[in-house]
Parts: sequence; C-alpha cells; structure tokens
Amino acid sequence: MSTALKLTDLRKSFGPTEIIRGLNLEVKQGERHAIIGPNGAGKSTMFHLVSGRIHPTSGTVELKGEDITGLQPFEINRRGLSRSFQVTNIFPKLTVFENIRCGVLWALGYRYSFWRFIDNLKDANARAEEVMDLIGLSARHETPAGILTYAEQRALEIGITIAGGADVIMLDEPTAGMSHSETDHAVALIRKISEGRTLVMVEHDMSVVFGLADRISVLVYGQIIASDTPQAIRANKAVREAYLGEEASA
Amino acid sequence: MSATVRTLLAFALFAVALAIMPKIFPSGTALTMMSLMGVAIVFALSYNMLLGQTGLLSFGHAVYYGLAGFAAIHAMNWVVRNKIGVSLPFIPIVGAVAGLFFGIVFGSISTRRAGTVFAMISLGLGELVVAITLIMRGVFGGEEGISANRAKLEPFFGFKFGPQIEVYYLIAVWCFICVAAMYALTRTPFGRMCNAVRDNPERAEFVGYSTQRVRFIAFCLSALFAGVAGALGAITFELVNAQALSAQQSGLVLLMSYVGGVGHFFGPIIGAVLITLLQISLSDITKAWLLYFGLMFIFVVMFWPGGIAGFIDQHRPIVRSGRFGRLLPSYSALALPVAGIALGVIGIIELAHHQLVEAASEGSKMKLFGIATDSATVAPWLALVALLAVAGLVFRAIWPKAAEAFATANAAARGAAP
Repeated sequence: MSTALKLTDLRKSFGPTEIIRGLNLEVKQGERHAIIGPNGAGKSTMFHLVSGRIHPTSGTVELKGEDITGLQPFEINRRGLSRSFQVTNIFPKLTVFENIRCGVLWALGYRYSFWRFIDNLKDANARAEEVMDLIGLSARHETPAGILTYAEQRALEIGITIAGGADVIMLDEPTAGMSHSETDHAVALIRKISEGRTLVMVEHDMSVVFGLADRISVLVYGQIIASDTPQAIRANKAVREAYLGEEASA
Repeated sequence: MSATVRTLLAFALFAVALAIMPKIFPSGTALTMMSLMGVAIVFALSYNMLLGQTGLLSFGHAVYYGLAGFAAIHAMNWVVRNKIGVSLPFIPIVGAVAGLFFGIVFGSISTRRAGTVFAMISLGLGELVVAITLIMRGVFGGEEGISANRAKLEPFFGFKFGPQIEVYYLIAVWCFICVAAMYALTRTPFGRMCNAVRDNPERAEFVGYSTQRVRFIAFCLSALFAGVAGALGAITFELVNAQALSAQQSGLVLLMSYVGGVGHFFGPIIGAVLITLLQISLSDITKAWLLYFGLMFIFVVMFWPGGIAGFIDQHRPIVRSGRFGRLLPSYSALALPVAGIALGVIGIIELAHHQLVEAASEGSKMKLFGIATDSATVAPWLALVALLAVAGLVFRAIWPKAAEAFATANAAARGAAP
C-alpha cells in the first residue's frame, strides 16, 4: 500500500513555545487512522499544519508523495486533501444545499466561472444532492445552515468536507459534544464516507476510536509516541501511562 | 410558478416600468431625476457586489465611478474633436473599460486583505485619487472639472441626445442591461462563492477557493459596473469634476445600499431611488439636508439593519398568507406617535440650523412648518421637546403590541407555509 500522508520531523513554534516537536507520522492509503492524545498535545495544531492553515517552522508534509509544505489551504485542497473543523465551520447564511454545493464546485472544474448559471450545472447539483442524502440532511434542503441543530451542523461540516471528492479526509473531533445516539449516527456516517478513502481523525471518544480505526497514533507533547493497531495501542504500556490510563482498561 | 419564471416576470415588469415612467412623469425635472435614479441604481448595485455579496466594506467606491466619468467625458470630447463616428450610447463602454482598468490596478493592492484592512486601504486610495485630481489640472480640470457637449456626437439612428427624454432612455437601456447582468452574476458559481467568502472566508479556502482571487474578481467586476454608472453620470451632467470621486460620493453610495438593504439583490435599487429622490427634493426644502441623511443612516444602522428590503422580506410570508390585515390596526396606531417623533426631530433640527447658521445674517425670525416663529425664543424649543417626549412615550407604550402582533402573524404565516 502506498503512503497517503507522511509527516517528517515536523516542528512548529509559537514564539518561544514549541508545540509540535519533531513529529513523524505515516498514513497508508485507504487506512482509517485515528490520532489520540491528551488536551494540548498538539492534535489540532498538527491538523492545521497538514491542511495549510498554519505553516510549520521546519519539517515536511507529503501528500501522496508530493511535498505540500507551505502551500495555501486552497492549493492543498485542490490536491485532494479535505478537512473538517473542531469548531463548526460552515457558511451560516447559505442554505444547507448551497453549503454542500460550494464544496463541490471547484472539484468539478467550475472555478471562478461567472458565465454559467449555477442552477443549470447538472453534475454539481446531482453530486450535491447525493452528499445531502449521504449525510441525511435532504429534508433540510432550503434551511439556512446557521439555524440547524448542533448535530445537523456537525453532519453538514462532514458533508462540506467530503463534497469535493477528496481522497484524504481529515476530521477534527467529529463527535465532540454529541449525545450517545447522535454519536452512533455520526460513527455510521464516518464509516460510510471513509469507504475507499484515507481517513485521519482526531477523536476523544475512545469507543469511537477503537470502533472505527485501523490504526491509532498517540500524540503526546508534540510528538507521536506510538503508532500501531488498536490492539497493540491498547496493550502499549507507555501509552497507558501517558494517556489512556483507566479508559483503556475499562 | 417556478423561480425562473418569477425572475423573468420581474425583469419584464422592470423593463415596462422603465419604458412608461416618462409617460407618467413627463416634466423636465422628473426626467432629470429619473435619469439620475438610473445612474444611482447601477452605481449602488455595483457597490453591493462588494458589500452585500462579498462582504467587502469600501469607503472609496466613487473612485471608479469618478475616474470612469472622466474617461467618458474625455472620450466624448475626443470623438467630437476628431470627428469619429461613434455615437453617445457607446460611451458607457468606455466607462466600463476604465472602471475595469482601475479596478484591476487598485484591486490588486486592496483585495489582498479583507475586513478592516480593506476598508482602510479603500479610504486611503480614495483620498489619494482626490488629491491627484486636484494636482493634475490638465486631465481633471481642477475645481471646475471637464465638460463636454453630448449632442455633438454622431447621431444614433437620428437621435442626438440633446433632449433629456432621449438621455433618459439611453440610461434606462443601460440600467436594464447592468441590472440584469449583475443579477445573473449572483446566480453563477462565482457569485455563490462570493457569498461563501462573505460568510466564512476560512472555509472557502478549504473547499479549494482562493479568497483573495474571489475578492479580486468581485472587485474588478464591481468597478466595471461603477464605471458604466460613472459614464452615464457624465452623459447626464455633461460635466465631471472631483466631486464625482470624492469621499462624499463614496458615502452616498454606501448610504443608498445600506438604507435599501444590502442583504437583498433589489435592496440597493430601492435605496438608490429613494436617496436620489430625497437628495434632489430635500435640498430644495432645507439647507440642512445632509444632516437628515446622516440621521437616517444612523437610524437604519441601529434599528433597521436589514434596510427597506429587509423590512419587506420580513413581511413577505405574512402578506402571502393573507395575514397582513391583522397587522394594520397595530401598525396604524404607531403612525401617530411616529409622525410626532418625526415632527419633533425635524422641528428641532430646523430651529437649530436657523439659530446657528442663519440667525446672524437673516435674524432669528423664521417659518417652521408654515408657522411664524422665532428661533431665539424658548417657546418653540419647549413645544418641540414636549412633542418629542410625548410622542416618544406613546410610541414606547404601543410598540410592544405591534411587535407582538408581528410575531404572532409571522409564526402563523410560517406555520401555514408549505
């Protein structure tokens, strides 16, 4: 299996504080890879570094073998990596359908087109409808995204992320703040959308992590201290001490 | 009725309205005013491509209007001087090209950033261009500006565009083309991404779009249409001076868009018509007209952020479900106190203006609402303050009922909607 994502000796400092301290990680194509670790370990920072929201102080990020270090978010997105956000990050005044369609346009080659009517783009509309169906928001077609419930907004967040058909999907705490039933729903959704794609996700809910992931990496204090199968991670002594503690044995 | 049919119908009505207006208001003053309204509509809509559609607050949009106006007036003179067979209806194309050119030049600097930085740069560029126009007197004509004679261009199918009615129709046709084009633009992938960038620029970057590029294209297209407006203005006045690209002109287009409602495509059209009407009629009635504009702007920003279009939009479901009648009693009860407040405010402004500005030269005796009074005495002040206070208290007492009536009707209308 070829490598989807490879981080090599990645470092990021904010002023004198080094948040990411020589991080190495390899994610294989088609793998569901979870990143776990305590609060403040640098999980979200790592996501920002990979997706281009912030740029690393040193080290490299490779996407499907291509060096994407220092590229802008839209350049990275165009190369087939798409991400969601921990804090819901949607287009609040646009309808649910418009939100999804915005995620579709670039990938289908419509770019900055101002000479075609958007409602006549059959492929874009069909693709958006498909995604609406997939995330279970078809009934909310014309609702402004800003007034959806929290769980619906989280689903929309995932919908926008996958709409463009990126083959590497990064989800930042997709089930945070959800009730049990909502979480079950979200897990089923993530399983569905990650089929045939590479998934990297940050998640705090261990039942979600161990239920979904093919591989787990543990990020502590800006470094990956272990990267292995769920069984191996559960058995790893260093990981238990550093992070899992009671949760893993429970 | 499908949305497309409704849109086509609306544009057909718009075309008919533009065509028959001179039959309803045939006077010379009315024709001039309606011509200016047409110019203002194009200008305000072009401004709203930035503010309402893309979320860019510009304080220097008149730069493109004004520079294109100068380009158009020079083009007219050049065409006349060299006896080139170009007729007047094609001059706005010169304005469009000039607007686009300056949009590309200045936009490449100002659209690198959004928000406060963009607003500040637009203000700075505006001041810079005004300063340049006053220095380069050869090109911009200094204080007097540059004038032209539109009737000297090659006639267009026999029309020489001397009479105002012919100019009105020239403007009406261009206004229709521009409104249709700008509306069409909102229905394209680019138009939708402008909205996305307005709503959440960060997320737009993560679905593959360079927000800087989106802002830049929006800016250039907006400058292009502002350029058409500038050329139409130059054709109407046969004169362009530094006033056309001043900060006041930039403020005026912001006022038009905001009062009309930036959240709706048709909002700036309402604003442009209303503000042009007020600008011309108010300046005849009172010398303090600019003050009223300022007050109106503050009022809209504070209490009516959706503008007139927002107000209409709020009531649309109620009207559609036939519940507007239920609002009439409570709304008409508000009319009296609102009139009282308006009279009080207007009276105080006029008294103050007379006392502070005109009393020294003309004496403190004046006519207020047709009643002889004296701005240096206490009585009229007391009466107006009392009127304002009483009307204000009555308004406060009645307002909750009107708000409740609206909420009830609105909830019922939305519940009843399919």
